Amino acid sequence: MTASRTPLRILAPEASAPVIMRELSRRRFLSLAALAGGATLLAACSPGGSSAPAPGATGGDLENSLSVYTWGDYDSPEVVSSFTSELGPKVTLDSYSSNEELIAKLIAAKGTSGYDIVVPTGVFIPQMIENGLLTPFNKDLLPNLSNMDPAYLGRAWDPNNDYSVCKAAGTTGFVYDKTVISRELKTWDDFFDAAQNEASGRTSMLDDPAGIIGAYFWARDEDWNTTDEAELDACRQFLVEQIAPHISAFDSYPGTNSIPQGTHVLMQSWNGDARLGMLESSDPDRWQWVLPGPLTELWMDNWAIAAGAPHPEAAHAFINYSMAPESLYLNLDYIGYNVGGKGLLEQAEAEGMEMTDLIFFDEAQISTMREQELNESQSTRVEIWNEMKAAAGA
Amino acid sequence: MPKSRSAGAALAVPAWAWLLLFFVAPVAMVIWFSFGYKPGIFGTHANDILSFDRYVEAMSPTFFATFTNTLWVGIIGTVLCFLIGAPVAYWMAFKVKPQRRGILIALVLVPFWTNFLVRTIGWQVILAPEGWLSTLLQGVGVLDGPLELLYTRTAVIIGVVYNYLPLMILPLFVAFDRVGPALREASKDLGAGKLTTFFRVTLPLSQPGIIAGVLLVFIPLMGDYITATVLGGAKGNMVGQLVASQFQTAQNWALGSAMAVLLMLTIMVTILVAAIIIWLVALPFRTRNRLVLGSGTDKTDRPDKTDAASPSAPVEVTT
Amino acid sequence: MTPPETVTETETLLNARSREMAASSAPTKSAPRRRAPMTWSDIAFRVWGIAVMVFLFLPIIVIVIYSFNTGRLLVAWDGFGFDAFLTILEKPAIQNAVRVSLITATISAVIATVLGTLAGIAMARYPGKWVWWFLGLLLLVSVTPEIVDAVALLPFLVFLGQDLGIGMFNDGIVRLSVGSSLFATAVVSYIVRARLVGQDANLEEASADLYAKPFTTFRRVTLALAMPAVLAGFLLAFTLSLDNTIVAAFVQVSGTTPWPVYVLSAVRSGLRPEIAAVSTVMLLLTLVALALVALVLKRAGDSATEIARTMTGG
Repeated sequence: MTASRTPLRILAPEASAPVIMRELSRRRFLSLAALAGGATLLAACSPGGSSAPAPGATGGDLENSLSVYTWGDYDSPEVVSSFTSELGPKVTLDSYSSNEELIAKLIAAKGTSGYDIVVPTGVFIPQMIENGLLTPFNKDLLPNLSNMDPAYLGRAWDPNNDYSVCKAAGTTGFVYDKTVISRELKTWDDFFDAAQNEASGRTSMLDDPAGIIGAYFWARDEDWNTTDEAELDACRQFLVEQIAPHISAFDSYPGTNSIPQGTHVLMQSWNGDARLGMLESSDPDRWQWVLPGPLTELWMDNWAIAAGAPHPEAAHAFINYSMAPESLYLNLDYIGYNVGGKGLLEQAEAEGMEMTDLIFFDEAQISTMREQELNESQSTRVEIWNEMKAAAGA
Repeated sequence: MPKSRSAGAALAVPAWAWLLLFFVAPVAMVIWFSFGYKPGIFGTHANDILSFDRYVEAMSPTFFATFTNTLWVGIIGTVLCFLIGAPVAYWMAFKVKPQRRGILIALVLVPFWTNFLVRTIGWQVILAPEGWLSTLLQGVGVLDGPLELLYTRTAVIIGVVYNYLPLMILPLFVAFDRVGPALREASKDLGAGKLTTFFRVTLPLSQPGIIAGVLLVFIPLMGDYITATVLGGAKGNMVGQLVASQFQTAQNWALGSAMAVLLMLTIMVTILVAAIIIWLVALPFRTRNRLVLGSGTDKTDRPDKTDAASPSAPVEVTT
Repeated sequence: MTPPETVTETETLLNARSREMAASSAPTKSAPRRRAPMTWSDIAFRVWGIAVMVFLFLPIIVIVIYSFNTGRLLVAWDGFGFDAFLTILEKPAIQNAVRVSLITATISAVIATVLGTLAGIAMARYPGKWVWWFLGLLLLVSVTPEIVDAVALLPFLVFLGQDLGIGMFNDGIVRLSVGSSLFATAVVSYIVRARLVGQDANLEEASADLYAKPFTTFRRVTLALAMPAVLAGFLLAFTLSLDNTIVAAFVQVSGTTPWPVYVLSAVRSGLRPEIAAVSTVMLLLTLVALALVALVLKRAGDSATEIARTMTGG
């Protein structure tokens, strides 16, 4: 396809475009533009990555480039650029907006996706391991693992951290407007109560079955990963009939719009998101964050290496680099979630980071946090979620 | 001229091939999925056992309730798009100097080269209860309390109409423009008033474009869901989200495919029903038109510059 | 100017028509302004048209203002500054995303316009039983939810690229262009067909009678008649492809994340003012490009304004 094409033409900078047009007639300009467009197409059609199976990482030389498939804007640009300047490989960041999208793409690509590092949420890692979508780590190349807080290692989805290591950890709680809700809310029961009373019609819940159904079971101090039909049915009754009519929005990111704009009064949210919203609000004292009891969630986004990664050496190097103390702190500051490193709380307080209580949790709090498990009840949960949305929209 | 007719029809072959290859083949696959099932927790679809079970599952009360809501939004959105967009298209086609038309067409589209989420967030900022518009309206006295538009049905309609307006304006413009000034002037010369000219000449002649505009707005609107939820919250619950949730959150492609097929069928049925209703409603008008313009004209001296319907042909243009 | 012998009768007719129109509106340019008195309906239409334009630009103006926000969140105004614009330079991910989107949208719009115009002309000028099937296909394309398209296209493209070894389909730009061009082709077909259908083929017949080859007739008559629809279709196809999110998210490959996918994905981390800054920059570039096009047309002289008029249906 490329062999018989005309040689590459260089696109002129925008400033000289009028000059060119003055000198050429319109028709010649159009044909030139077509050629330039073709050249752009050629330039964009860079040769694809090799489809040969990737060798396992053995500590050899780092490749020239690295492809990271992650959440949007989830990495400190400083860390990325200093990795390239210190160690060499050029980093390409691509974005996805849901774990299921990531999995669908990796399955369809059958090992040829071209991505090296992926960032799945912990609950999906067992599925990915079973489907052969991840490559195990070569732990010799990750000495900085020792910088990680043991509380965030060895979770249920990957007990030995063979495939993944914590990138960011968070929890689910809620925020309320103190000027409207004058009493103190402390538990999930309080949340549901306020949703039906003071905050009726001005409440938002996460746009995710896990968080919504979880809240019901956490309020009752029960296992939120249950597959018991009767329990799920009771949950459905409660959520669809009692709570749904009072919900005005299903929003997983209230911190980035509802809190600064004051559109809701009671919002279920993730800790980092709430912290961001409260910091950016024009009146931070108005809002109160609650880590509710008796139970809540611990979720974690993890570094992992995709099966068939074309640049395994660089992948290991990048993950290791991200676990260095300076990188850990830079990422913590950039994304506003706990990145799971040792001694970060002390460093944060020394640097004057605001609202560290919304990022760092003590042992007692962590003991109330439960991990999600993906099981057969998922279809039922999605059904309940959709029913609730239909009821709320009626 | 059969030879040139088949040669002409061959013009459509590239489009046929393109769409068959990249659209029909993959979508046929999805329809195939709909007869399968979800194999276990981690699988998305399997087709070793075929059945209609997924369709039964898909026809749940939730689906129909959500579809009704979507249909309501779809119809009101399309009608409003037409009412708002048609005068603009008319203005651009008939009232604006020809040199300016190109710029106006481009200007209509320029806002839509900003990402749709960013545009919708722009609306969020405008409609915020503690935002400048709310403060302004309260200060002027139009409102008693903060602006309560966000997360209501009205906000859904605003967002939806805003995002689909160009898809209505452009085809309508092309349609009105096709009518040309000649026939309208002739109509006025024959003593018809503005409204009569519009309803008896302009509107029937631009019918294909109107239908194009209505379809181009209504159909994608029925499948859209993101715009509705950003501004309307829970009130913007649309059936497209149901389908997406099966493909994404539930990872149940079989059920998702069945829902998608069901959705596509219901949309097509809706359009069919609407077409029949409109045909029935227009029936009395059509007979009237045929009488007035089809009789008594001399077919000898046809002006050679007509590029629209000639007097001997019926006024209504079939699609 | 082309020598008189090669100018066909048809061309003369078209030229005569446009010269007539130029003559009828010329007095408004050179002679002292004697505009026809504006009726109340003219004023009402103008007011409505401008009001709708303002409505269309309202959120854009808000976004432009917020692109000067120095805060962390796009929606929370902190202070005035150019920080957001400078940050774009530090984030190659953003620059790449915009570049990918613009390239793909152009290619996709070209594909859609070419295919759609041909199909629209075929449907209007050479109707037959096949038209119903084709319209059905177009309807199917429009009716299918995007997620279905996305989920279906991904394994199919992988199949073409990997299993069949057609290397072209492993390239991100190709995949994105293919994905966005589908609905756009349907749109252009509808519009072009709507423009031409029902019109008698008088001019084409005349052209054929005057010994013009079919291709010449097609090029000089049919295409010229359809031109406003073709242009409108191209612009619309470009607009739709720029916003293509779901299909794009699924079929993209490493290194080719398009802009809407990036934005949707960045919502999780809280949209920063850079997003608005990029939109402002894109808006400026668009307006500059439009101005340049208008300038080029004007510079090329009177024949160009006539052509522009034909293009926009004068």
